[in-house]
Amino acid sequence: MAKSTEELMELIDQIPNEPAKPGEFILPELMAIAVAHEVRDDDIVFAGTGLPMVGIMTANFMNAPHATLIYKSGICDGKTMHVPMSVCDQRAANMCSTLGGLVDTFGYYLQQGYVTLGFLGGAAIDKYGGVNVTSIGDYYKPAHRFTGSGGNSDIGTMAKRTAFIILQEKRRFLERNDYTTTPGWWCWDFKPNGKKEWKPKKEVWKGTPFADCGPTSVVTNMGVYRFDKNGIIYLETHHPGVTVEQVKENCGFDLNVSMVKGETPHPTYRELFVLREFVDPELIFLPQKVEYPAAIKSIIG
Amino acid sequence: MPLREKTKKAEILTLEEAVKKYMRNDIIVAYSGFTGFNRNPVAFAWETVRQGFKNLHVLDRHGSICTWLLNAVGAIKIYETDWMGWGEMAGKLDVNLERGYKAGKIILEDYSHGAMAMRFLAGAIGAPFIPYFAPLGSDLYNMEYDALGKAGLRGKNPKIPKKKFIQMEEPFYGEGNVVLLPAARPDLAVIHVAQAGDKGTARWRGVGTIDKEIAFACEKVVVIAEEIIPEAEMRKTPESNQIPYFTVDCIVEQPWGAFPSSVPFYYDYDAPFMRGMDAASRNEADLKKWLDEWVFGPKNWEDFLVKLGAKKLLDLKADMVTGYSVRMMRGKKPAPRMKMPLSVARSGY
Repeated sequence: MAKSTEELMELIDQIPNEPAKPGEFILPELMAIAVAHEVRDDDIVFAGTGLPMVGIMTANFMNAPHATLIYKSGICDGKTMHVPMSVCDQRAANMCSTLGGLVDTFGYYLQQGYVTLGFLGGAAIDKYGGVNVTSIGDYYKPAHRFTGSGGNSDIGTMAKRTAFIILQEKRRFLERNDYTTTPGWWCWDFKPNGKKEWKPKKEVWKGTPFADCGPTSVVTNMGVYRFDKNGIIYLETHHPGVTVEQVKENCGFDLNVSMVKGETPHPTYRELFVLREFVDPELIFLPQKVEYPAAIKSIIG
Repeated sequence: MPLREKTKKAEILTLEEAVKKYMRNDIIVAYSGFTGFNRNPVAFAWETVRQGFKNLHVLDRHGSICTWLLNAVGAIKIYETDWMGWGEMAGKLDVNLERGYKAGKIILEDYSHGAMAMRFLAGAIGAPFIPYFAPLGSDLYNMEYDALGKAGLRGKNPKIPKKKFIQMEEPFYGEGNVVLLPAARPDLAVIHVAQAGDKGTARWRGVGTIDKEIAFACEKVVVIAEEIIPEAEMRKTPESNQIPYFTVDCIVEQPWGAFPSSVPFYYDYDAPFMRGMDAASRNEADLKKWLDEWVFGPKNWEDFLVKLGAKKLLDLKADMVTGYSVRMMRGKKPAPRMKMPLSVARSGY
């Protein structure tokens, strides 16, 4: 007889909070938990759909239980029981503080300066953390056309810190994007005469309340990245089973690897337990459920 | 913007009548809800496709089941929006839209969510434009990427602003540069709600997205309600109402009219059905078959629901505590029964 969620809840503290071994977790789990580690307990987080949402829900269940989760359709501090499939899912609105709409979330919360952490996806990223979710190739005759900005460009420029989750390939990690949807630490300065100049975001946004806001970390399928004082991305950790060389090979520019700290920390058994049993037990975002090692199984029963 | 001469008096019509009267070719239309998941006025868009309206200008902030249906028959000519996935489970561009766009049949105008929310807010409060900071330095504010301007469509239709945006120095507090965005002023809003009073006062539960703003920004407003109830009932808890009757032109009662999107506290979204739509759109023969079966086949929306079957409707029926259903298979495993969110159980608020 399978245990009820209440019974499983009682077990959480008995599950060791020790790093799992290679083979005991899968990549999406590692990424979701790496995302969760970016969230602080006093953050107001504005997240996009998919793995970012799985990550912040995990954080809310583990390391940041008091973090406030904003969902762009109008939800303030949703306390989810079931993982939402979209930011407008009623599941995300469960036990929330207030419900409003996009004017609330993008105006009253975001442009008002309340949001401390944005969590977003992207199709391609440049070395300054600028993200493209619009098109590859010519804008009017694109080789690939994506969904367009959504809230990516609003959140990515006006949240104090922003973290991105992106699939890493050579053609997605670029010196410069074909189309900059969400400016990173360098972006266009559009002049009234129609000319444009590539400049630091701090200069383009100078005088606005948001000049110091921007990307602070990137989680990919290969590693975790941060930005140096010049706003240029560097590798901080590489995931287990991935070498620094492989990371460099999957990067379209000369990546700074001089500050690598080592391997991305493995998720702990307790984190994996929470992710699998409480965040996505329906297997909506996670592709499969991995078997627990014998020692953990014996606790769960 | 023209001033109104007198109070609107909402008429109650059937779905067929409302589409026939309020839709037309070349109209600028906005739909309620958010993405494919929440309060999409699907029945209205479905009937629009059946009645064969074309060359629509959708001015909206999301890809939805409505835009998916319209794109499936090539009914959209201009799509002015900020996010064009139609189901975030796919997270990708609607395939029909991509096909139409690459064939040069659709004009896409890109904004961001926040910018579009601000444009509708300006439209709602009667302001011609609104300042907004984000996203300065983005190609969204690159003058070369003004698709409506490039197509020569600005300055002709009075509902299409003369410029996509204007960037200027913030003149009051000296806060750097700011972007002025033109108000959104569509011809028609189609808004799916939970309940409408018979005079037109309307309400929903769950997220509001930008539906109140849309109701005020558009010239005509059609409300599709799960149920029409006596106006007196709506007045017992007026703080729960969002749309005042004097913005509403027409009310349609259409139970399950937002399927396969959700109406919180009425029914949940149908993820497998949406995945089926996405799969069908991957090739033209499958799409035609799907449209024949689900759009042109049924005699009317009731017939469509009968075709879905009682089992499906029972599984989707929302529970009155959470407003959603845990009986529907969304992923690969059934949803667990839960009484309390883990974060609240362990750490309170």
